[in-house]
Amino acid sequence: MKTVLKQLTEAFGPSGYETEVTELIRTMIEEHVDEIKTDVLGNLIAVKKGAEDGRTIMFAAHTDEIGLVVTHIDDKGFLRFSNVGGVSISTLVGNRVRFASGAVGAIYQEKGSWKELTLDKLYIDIGAESKEEALEKVKVGEFGIFHREFVDLGNRLIAKAMDDRVGCAILIEALKRIEDPNNTLCFVFTAQEEVGLRGARTAAYGIEPDLGIALDVTLTGDMPEARRMDVSLGKGAAIKVKDSSLIVHPKVKELLVNIAEENNIPYQMEVLEFGGTDAGAIHLTKAGIPSGTISIPTRYVHSPSEMVDIRDIKACTDLVVALADQDLSGI
Amino acid sequence: MEIKQVLRNLSEASGVSGHEHNLVSTIQDSCPWADEIACDKLGNLIMLKRGSGPEPRPKVMLAGHMDEIGLIITKIEKDGFLRFGTIGGFDQRVLLAQEVLVHGKEPLTGVIGAKPPHIQAPGEQSKAVKMEDLFIDVGFDSQDEAAKLVRVGDLVTLKRDVVDLQGSFLAGKSFDDRAGVAAILECFKALDGLSHTADVYGVATVQEEVGLRGAITSTYGIVPDIGIAIDVGFGDSPGLPESDTIKLGKGPGIAIGPHVHPKVHARMLETAKEWNIGYSLDPSPYPGGTDTYAIQVARAGVATILLSIPLRYMHTPIETIDYADVKQTGRLMALFIAGLDQEFVEGLTCF
Repeated sequence: MKTVLKQLTEAFGPSGYETEVTELIRTMIEEHVDEIKTDVLGNLIAVKKGAEDGRTIMFAAHTDEIGLVVTHIDDKGFLRFSNVGGVSISTLVGNRVRFASGAVGAIYQEKGSWKELTLDKLYIDIGAESKEEALEKVKVGEFGIFHREFVDLGNRLIAKAMDDRVGCAILIEALKRIEDPNNTLCFVFTAQEEVGLRGARTAAYGIEPDLGIALDVTLTGDMPEARRMDVSLGKGAAIKVKDSSLIVHPKVKELLVNIAEENNIPYQMEVLEFGGTDAGAIHLTKAGIPSGTISIPTRYVHSPSEMVDIRDIKACTDLVVALADQDLSGI
Repeated sequence: MEIKQVLRNLSEASGVSGHEHNLVSTIQDSCPWADEIACDKLGNLIMLKRGSGPEPRPKVMLAGHMDEIGLIITKIEKDGFLRFGTIGGFDQRVLLAQEVLVHGKEPLTGVIGAKPPHIQAPGEQSKAVKMEDLFIDVGFDSQDEAAKLVRVGDLVTLKRDVVDLQGSFLAGKSFDDRAGVAAILECFKALDGLSHTADVYGVATVQEEVGLRGAITSTYGIVPDIGIAIDVGFGDSPGLPESDTIKLGKGPGIAIGPHVHPKVHARMLETAKEWNIGYSLDPSPYPGGTDTYAIQVARAGVATILLSIPLRYMHTPIETIDYADVKQTGRLMALFIAGLDQEFVEGLTCF
């Protein structure tokens, strides 16, 4: 699991440019599934066929990560940029960015106070001494990501893009463990979640599942002077009740709680007051699809140092595996 | 049962967005005029009253949302007090000192506590209390005791009975938008005595307060030609400019704006005038706030209109309406529907 997570989190995949990640996942899973394909938005869809009387479950974990996009290159070779997804300015100054070409740059700020810092006062220095030299490495419109290594702290792990490669890693592990499921399982590694749940929207329209389950990160409240949130690292899978994009179907919530109870899988209830996941898009597809989310408790979300706990990852994986064979006729 | 009494029962029942299932039986048992009643996958209650005559018949969808705004438990404190967040747009100023129902393993009565005025810091009373500082007291004396009956994610509703004011005025919670659901029932009842060719889908929609979600999926399933959303509009009261409000007791607001089809609007006005039904013209430049918009942009597009029941003190536990307006809204819709034919529907694409 840790090896897979290291490979996935260090890969390049800002929203809209997820190919490196999806190709990596494809090599990891293709021999374990019955069908595998990519759709026009860049979702990777892998199917494990179930029995004839089974239903269809769509699992979604997004492959894209937040990033930056170059908007201007000045005469001295400095880059100006805009955000791709929810990037917090406080995580940028002094941080490093990497582009598809491999070019790496440092982000810094113009003079002025921290309080008045806005995105247009920041720039990227890729070490170029002129506009011409900069253009050899990067063009306007190119997307960049945080440049960070995966770190193993034992039970706890730090990386960029843990949101949501940890969800991808859980689905990869789960689909390897599941053999001959009763329900047909569509594992969708979705594109463009960070910019508005876009990949999940089209994938769900195409698949039209009976049940939609997103695997994504959620916030925790267990750090010093943190905002009140009753989810902690290491206390198990977080079963979502609501966020800004979704109120989990009560029967789906109860189903997940019952599975966790019956299988002794550690879990905690999650009420997220801001943010959303792919399940928000899935449940509003066509005439409606009952949906829920299994969340991975994560500290420092949308920073280059997102921290998760390997025990929570195991709990989430166990929950996915146990859900795969459930009788869904009551939903 | 009188539909007014149905509305009382609905108002006093609990049905926070995403958890509207408790309301379904009350509504469907009060609608003997429907030919078919079913719930869809998101919980929308769809009541179909078929028209007469050969197909294709016009399809009209009426949408009133049955969900209410509510609270949700976010944390159980060590001493047994409960912290909460909101589902939908509560005005946090009105929460202080309310009685609530915590929907735990069993319904539990609680109160939202407040600091006594005697020990407040100077100036504290002139500031609104922040949601994060509020808490619910159910009378638990420890976290362990609370955890036996309540868990994070449990819902909370305000505890409030309907009261009769002068005339046919009523005050209570959740008239936004169960008054709209009552108007649909009034419409079905009135239609029963009229001849109509259109198939009428009365939908008690879910999850309007968190983003028009039930209307998005129910419209996709129904594929109507015309969509009428019935919601509540800002009623007149001291301190509110006349231009932003509609008067209680004068009939529904008939919206005009980008989410209203001009021909449907014109026909609705004609109908009101022909049958002497009072109305207020309700300019509605921002389309995002009601089910109307979700219906309008479903599939390849739907001709829509919004009817607003005037309501004072929106999103508080003492929402105030005149039941006469609910009745008139239902009657107006029924007469509008009775006047529809396939020719009118086909003309909706000719501007």
